[in-house]
Amino acid sequence: MSHDTQDLEQEILDVLFERLSKFPVKSGALTAETSLVADMSLDSVNMMELLMEVEDTFDVSFPLNMMANVETVQNLADQIKLLVEKKA
Amino acid sequence: MSIADRFAELAHLRDALGAEEADPTRIVMDRILSPTEAMIGNRPTILVGTNNYLGLTFDPAVLAAADAALHEQGSGTTGSRMANGSFACHAALERSFAAFYGVPSAMVFSTGYQTNLGLLMGILRPGDKVVLDSHSHACIYDGCRISGADFLAFRHNDPEDLRKRLRRLGDEAKGALVIAEGLYSMLGDTAPLAELCAIAKEYGAWFMVDEAHSFGVYGERGLGLCEEAGILDQVDFITGTFSKSLASLGGFCVSRHPELQLLRYGSRPYIFTASPSPASIAAAAAALDAIRTRPELKASLWANATRLHDGLSAAGYDLASPVSPVIAVRVPSREEGARIWNALMEHGVYVNLVLPPAAPEGAALLRCSLSAAHSFDQIDAIIAAFKTVAPEAATGGAQSTAAQ
Repeated sequence: MSHDTQDLEQEILDVLFERLSKFPVKSGALTAETSLVADMSLDSVNMMELLMEVEDTFDVSFPLNMMANVETVQNLADQIKLLVEKKA
Repeated sequence: MSIADRFAELAHLRDALGAEEADPTRIVMDRILSPTEAMIGNRPTILVGTNNYLGLTFDPAVLAAADAALHEQGSGTTGSRMANGSFACHAALERSFAAFYGVPSAMVFSTGYQTNLGLLMGILRPGDKVVLDSHSHACIYDGCRISGADFLAFRHNDPEDLRKRLRRLGDEAKGALVIAEGLYSMLGDTAPLAELCAIAKEYGAWFMVDEAHSFGVYGERGLGLCEEAGILDQVDFITGTFSKSLASLGGFCVSRHPELQLLRYGSRPYIFTASPSPASIAAAAAALDAIRTRPELKASLWANATRLHDGLSAAGYDLASPVSPVIAVRVPSREEGARIWNALMEHGVYVNLVLPPAAPEGAALLRCSLSAAHSFDQIDAIIAAFKTVAPEAATGGAQSTAAQ
């Protein structure tokens, strides 16, 4: 993994942590392995707003149906990273 | 997740709503007295949350048409349109919708929900792009999801946000589908359809509008918000339901594209379900005639909506939108929403309690939907009940509006 790729991943995770900080986490701390639904109870509207913010921050299109492959914060970061890299 | 886990999750949801005294499933209309009144238990209750906009569910012409169809054609079609379930009445109603809109194509579906599901599952395939208003109804989201298309939300009623998201799609914006509704059912606000349509066309996208809550209510001829916005010749697909202004059960889609008819060969929610019963079709057809020939119904609806909006507004309530047939009262918390909802019911007034995520923007809503069949006396009784049960909510609402 190159430095640039690591930086991008960290940047994405930082943005997600910041956006998710307003939601309580059942198991305690918010980490990359936190489950968005099981640990955080994000409802469909919260999830959609999070994705619209992500799209605007990284200037990518993130289709809602891609959430089918996402369980944790890390999964979401990985999907966003793919989209950012595809754009570049 | 196992099925047992899923049941546990749903039981938790039910128990939470029960603990808040906010479970809408416990409300049963024990006896229907009129389009605007029912017995709930032993209490006569004014209904102001039924979407019965033109009040036609007990209209003599509608009842007579349904009764005649019931006796002449039977209680059900017992088949799908593809098999034995295409009756002359279905084809005739489709011709009536096409003629009313002045378009070559109309299709009738078995419910409003299935209409959007049927259109979207029929026209979209995996890889197709859809950009929909974030406040879209569940059936629009579900239709997109089941189709396998890539779907993105744009910020509610925000044309520039739509433009931004179409721009991001690059070449794929051409041929994408943009979806908006006319009147949004929860907040009672209307879409800037002319701007949204112009942006969709600028990018070479198709444009679909769901007029479930606006058909029969907006536009000089009652065709909906597309008529009012002057875009009937540009919008590609218009959908609507029979279960609101049309006082029945079913749905319709019209299109300026003759190809819409091809969905009869490839829309699973159209093909694999029973067609609407003859009585449902006859009631909808009679209600459609009423929309065409009795503009006074629409005038009564708007007079009632204006009276309720003015009354609640003067009493200091925080209303989500300018006057429309849906008037949503914002309440600061879920608890206060449930308390007022129950208190209104004790005073003989039924409204819809809407909690997040169904209520956008996080607040609870007490959603009123008006009917042409309400009398001014009923409207005044509704306003009086609101004032009696929650004077403090009015103050809170006024403060929160001032703070915005």
